[in-house]
Amino acid sequence: MAHGEVKHDYHLVNPSPWPLLGSLFVAVLALGFVTYTKGLFGLEPGTMWLMGLGLLGVMYVMFGWWRDVVKESRAGDHTPVVQIGLRYGMILFILSEVMFFVAWFWGFFEFAIFWPERTATWDAANPIYADSLSRFADWPPAGVETFDPFHLPLINTLVLLLSGTTVTWAHHALQHGDRSGARNGLILTVVLGMLFTALQVLEYSHAGFTYDGTLYGSAFYMATGFHGAHVVIGTIFLAVCLIRLMVGGFTPQKHFGFEAAAWYWHFVDVVWLFLFAFVYVVPYLVLG
Amino acid sequence: MRALLTLLLTGLAAGTAHAARPEEGALGLQPAATRIMERLHFFHGFVMVFLTAVVILVLGLLVWVMVRYNRKSNDEPRRFSHNTLVEVVWTVVPVVILVLIAIPSFPNLYYQDAEPDLDKIAQSGDLDDPNVYPEAAEKGWLTVKAQGNQWNWTYQYPDFVDDAGYAMEFVSNPLHVGLSDDPAHTQDAPRNLAVDYPMVVPANRYIRYQTTASDVIHSWTVPSFGVKTDAIPGKLNQGWFLVEEPGVYYGQCSELCGVNHAFMPIEVRVVPEDQFDRWAETMMEGDYDAAAEIVAEIEPLDEEATRLAAAQ
Amino acid sequence: MPMDEITLDQAGQEHDHKPGFFTRWFFSTNHKDIGTLYLIFALIAGIIGYALSGLIRWELAEPGIGPLTMFVAGEGDAAVEAAKHFYNTVITYHGLIMIFFMVMPALIGGFGNWFVPLMIGAPDMAFPRMNNISFWLTAAAFILLMISMFVPGGSAGNGFGGGWVLYPPLSGLKGHPGPAMDLVILSLHTAGIASILGAINFIVTILNMRAPGMTIHKMPLFAWSMLITAILLLLALPVLAGALTMLLTDRNFGSQFFVPEGGGDPVMFQHLFWFFGHPEVYIMILPAFGIISHIVSTFSRKPIFGYLGMAYAMVAIGFIGFIVWAHHMYTVGMNLDLKAYFVAATMVIAVPTGIKIFSWIATMWGGSIEFKVPMLWAIGFIFLFTIGGVTGVMLANAGIDHILHDTYYVVAHFHYVLSLGAVFGLFAAWYYWFEKMFGVKYNERIGQVHFWLMFVGSNVIFFPQHFLGLHGAPRRYVDMAEGFQMWNAVSSWGYVITLVATAVFFVGLVEAMVRRRKAEANPWGEGATTLEWTLSSPPPFHQFNTLPVVKSEGGH
Ligand code: HEA
Ligand code: HEA
Ligand code: CUA
Ligand SMILES: [Cu+2]
Repeated sequence: MAHGEVKHDYHLVNPSPWPLLGSLFVAVLALGFVTYTKGLFGLEPGTMWLMGLGLLGVMYVMFGWWRDVVKESRAGDHTPVVQIGLRYGMILFILSEVMFFVAWFWGFFEFAIFWPERTATWDAANPIYADSLSRFADWPPAGVETFDPFHLPLINTLVLLLSGTTVTWAHHALQHGDRSGARNGLILTVVLGMLFTALQVLEYSHAGFTYDGTLYGSAFYMATGFHGAHVVIGTIFLAVCLIRLMVGGFTPQKHFGFEAAAWYWHFVDVVWLFLFAFVYVVPYLVLG
Repeated sequence: MRALLTLLLTGLAAGTAHAARPEEGALGLQPAATRIMERLHFFHGFVMVFLTAVVILVLGLLVWVMVRYNRKSNDEPRRFSHNTLVEVVWTVVPVVILVLIAIPSFPNLYYQDAEPDLDKIAQSGDLDDPNVYPEAAEKGWLTVKAQGNQWNWTYQYPDFVDDAGYAMEFVSNPLHVGLSDDPAHTQDAPRNLAVDYPMVVPANRYIRYQTTASDVIHSWTVPSFGVKTDAIPGKLNQGWFLVEEPGVYYGQCSELCGVNHAFMPIEVRVVPEDQFDRWAETMMEGDYDAAAEIVAEIEPLDEEATRLAAAQ
Repeated sequence: MPMDEITLDQAGQEHDHKPGFFTRWFFSTNHKDIGTLYLIFALIAGIIGYALSGLIRWELAEPGIGPLTMFVAGEGDAAVEAAKHFYNTVITYHGLIMIFFMVMPALIGGFGNWFVPLMIGAPDMAFPRMNNISFWLTAAAFILLMISMFVPGGSAGNGFGGGWVLYPPLSGLKGHPGPAMDLVILSLHTAGIASILGAINFIVTILNMRAPGMTIHKMPLFAWSMLITAILLLLALPVLAGALTMLLTDRNFGSQFFVPEGGGDPVMFQHLFWFFGHPEVYIMILPAFGIISHIVSTFSRKPIFGYLGMAYAMVAIGFIGFIVWAHHMYTVGMNLDLKAYFVAATMVIAVPTGIKIFSWIATMWGGSIEFKVPMLWAIGFIFLFTIGGVTGVMLANAGIDHILHDTYYVVAHFHYVLSLGAVFGLFAAWYYWFEKMFGVKYNERIGQVHFWLMFVGSNVIFFPQHFLGLHGAPRRYVDMAEGFQMWNAVSSWGYVITLVATAVFFVGLVEAMVRRRKAEANPWGEGATTLEWTLSSPPPFHQFNTLPVVKSEGGH
């Protein structure tokens, strides 16, 4: 609707079907999830198609939405002041993600640090809980074989740190108009991201505990698993940037999509450092 | 002086100490049966003085500006928007009020929440301090464990162990659950409060109560004792009280625990020590109904009236 | 700022063409239209939440389990059993709807969307399309919640009946194994995403799109209140999302976070929940604070007293709001010194809140007050919120909270700050901005009757609940013991008065829409100084095509 005598640089977006459609598919996805786990509307538990439909729909909407954003950017709607807004927006989104991870760390710390306090008020006389006391009186709980942080996790740390530098390399190259440098840096980053994911899968496959039914597993997989999901999302984000770079979507002056991906990647990186320190190293060192 | 203040401030509370139950139309706290609750009575009255003053002040100021500064009385508004002095005053005065509130608040909290050291109390022998009971302290703790279940309470007395090594334990079921075959509501069996086998404790003994649960979270409370502690599965919580006056005291589960949350009442019968002993003995023999019969009528204490009853 | 100092370019804006009906209302990227959608949504959700509270009051009007048995399947005792669970679901959905789908959408989504851009001189929100998905996700969340009421909760019947705080194990597999609870979780996830996106939108709009010359210290207080509200949302909601996710996987994938048999800790859920939940209560009241400031200033024809103090009091409230959460958990068996800390921290909030109350009164002091309908609601708010606030101070003291916790004293406290606080603020805003939003005038007399009936009715509902609570009446009880009957009956009669009030509200709404008295740009006169009053009523589809320039010195 940006027409007439508009004398400001803000971006008045045209009406768009994506929000309504997206919300619809989110609702379908939620209903599909519950159908899958519990059964709903007469559908048996285990029914996948509703969830699949929701997921596909959400992905379709995301694709359409961001394609529109890219188009608008090309059309010159992202004026300098709009770009500042986009930057603020991305930073705030990352901040909310940080608070999301606070919840997982809160859980892990609660279980890891407050054991003495909790076992002191354990209802040990009750047979159900007496049994759990014997299993859970320590952290990690009895019988849990944790990872040696200085094998795979350390390699993963190095992989991620390295990817942080390659993405910065790509950024610098892009700013200086060195397109092939930018491309190489980005390719390397994406490959390192995939390597991290692969190593994480490898690590998971050697785990001596499961998510299901064990407290340590719950806390461990929730924290590292959500981080892993963020790595995957970040990798896709970077890969999309790579494609846009190859088709000439970025200029040395204007490449906010790339910067957002890079910030996101650094955030994923920092979260990993916390995970490495507090979930892998500290318990390992403290418990010998 | 303190007693007078308490009397003044708790004038709203109705009824006598030895049958604490909800009274129709009551405006205030249930009467105190323990020193903990007595202090809460005082505290509530004390804080209410400030809170009432604040509300009346705000109301008064509002009425004043509405009368004095409405369009008819004051056509030309003034333009000021700062006044350092009043801003400092309305920051500092609330701070002072809060500090005044905190002065009794923290000792109160520590009094009820920290378990008293009975050895020290017994040695002190200070009979004038209303906060401690040296004679009771000499007898030591009596422990009762209350386990919340959907939807009744299991009481366990770890101090009473049978030959096989099992502690005395029984389930306390509600008499009323809202259904058509509920017994009638009577003075002795008030609706939604009475149970079949009540928890029984001796008067003038330090009672340590523990709470836990077998399924979901419940909460064990007796308002006139001034105690409420959540019963959380897997966790053992603890508190204490000492009741001076024999009587029947009621409470109700205070954490939403499912369908019959409103129907798992708590009935505590506080009886003289020897009556308690007879009850416990009969319970140990496994004759619950006979034991319930023993505490059906609460015997009076030897002394005429206790301090708390006099203070009401 | 005085109006002549604002550069205006209203001419020629009448012909800006609006999109067709479907595109306009379903694909909207216009902050005013989205604001209107939010208000309509909140009104519908509010009616449902209000009807549910009617079921509560009806059931509690007399002893025994009566009225609710009419709404459940079965006869006799079977109906009674079903009604017990139904009661639990009614209070749960009443709380959830009122909080997440009435107050928040109305104050933040509705008035925030409408007036933050107008007040700061912006043409729209920063991310207009994202603004729309915030709305539609909220609607989707509401639909999920509604569906959950009618699918199996557990063995006891349909819906989730574990209270709006969703404590496990009652909300876990043990308490409610059915799909209803999973839908509640996903509904709140969805509403949470909507609110986080909305929060980002507000913060960016306020930081990046203020009119030239409007420094942050000249920004209207409503925009300040929305900025702080948005920051609280941004930081608090993800933690709730985390807790809900743990609960969801506990229920579906065998994790053990809150499962005591597996070593998990149900109390940890309460910490996570209240780390969100306490900021949430300020999320609901801060927008009302902002609104009241404008109304009080407008109708006293005086600038806000102590503008900076007002703004930073809200900052302080927001900050302290994050470090007091465990005052909801005094009875869980927390460490004693920790309790003492939370007592002290909680009471501190009374100080900045007091600054606000007294500054409002000081704004009126020396003014020339006109008692138009919005001002009645505002004065009612100041008085009734104070009552709710001081009972909060009573509850803050852990010692006495040991007996007041989970009694009607708490119910009375939070309805005074919510139903007589946030909702009074909501109605104040409704009447204050009615002409501006809808372009027609409401009937003054009907508005006054609405206020007085509501004032009397809601006080009759909630004041006696203090007595009940002090005397030990527990919350979430379908059937009370005998001694609690009288005040419960009084409380239920109060509800009947609010029924009349609500009818009058709708009469007023219909009257205004039928009569269509043409609105003025600024019906309130010289006291109304913020930018929205410089625009026509309703404002053009796109306002401020030329940005207004703020020059004046002391204007807020
Ligand atoms: C809008 C929502 C809102 C607001 C603003 C508040 C404000 C406050 N609340 Fe409230 N509260 C709730 C909503 C809110 N609350 C809800 C929903 C619950 C229950 C949740 C549930 O369990 O379901 C709850 C429960 C609750 C509890 C837990 C009770 C329990 O479950 O046992 C406590 C305890 O500390 C508390 C305290 C306070 C305090 C100290 C304030 C303070 O911010 C109030 C400050 C204001 C004033 C004090 C008045 C004005 C000040 C002056 C005029 C200055 C002078 C005053 C003095 C010196 C006293 N609240
Ligand atoms: C904002 C929040 C809010 C609001 C407005 C209300 C409003 C009301 N509440 Fe609510 N209530 C809660 C939040 C709220 N409540 C919460 C969180 C709980 C705890 C749940 C739990 O235990 O888990 C609760 C619990 C609760 C109980 C305790 C139940 C129990 O513990 O067993 C009772 C009992 O009387 C009650 C009654 C009422 C009544 C009679 C009203 C009202 O009828 C009073 C009159 C109000 C109105 C008439 C306003 C209606 C508004 C509109 C129609 C919208 C208008 C919109 C626009 C103009 C856009 N409520
Ligand atoms: Cu048991 Cu509520
Ligand atoms: Cu709180």
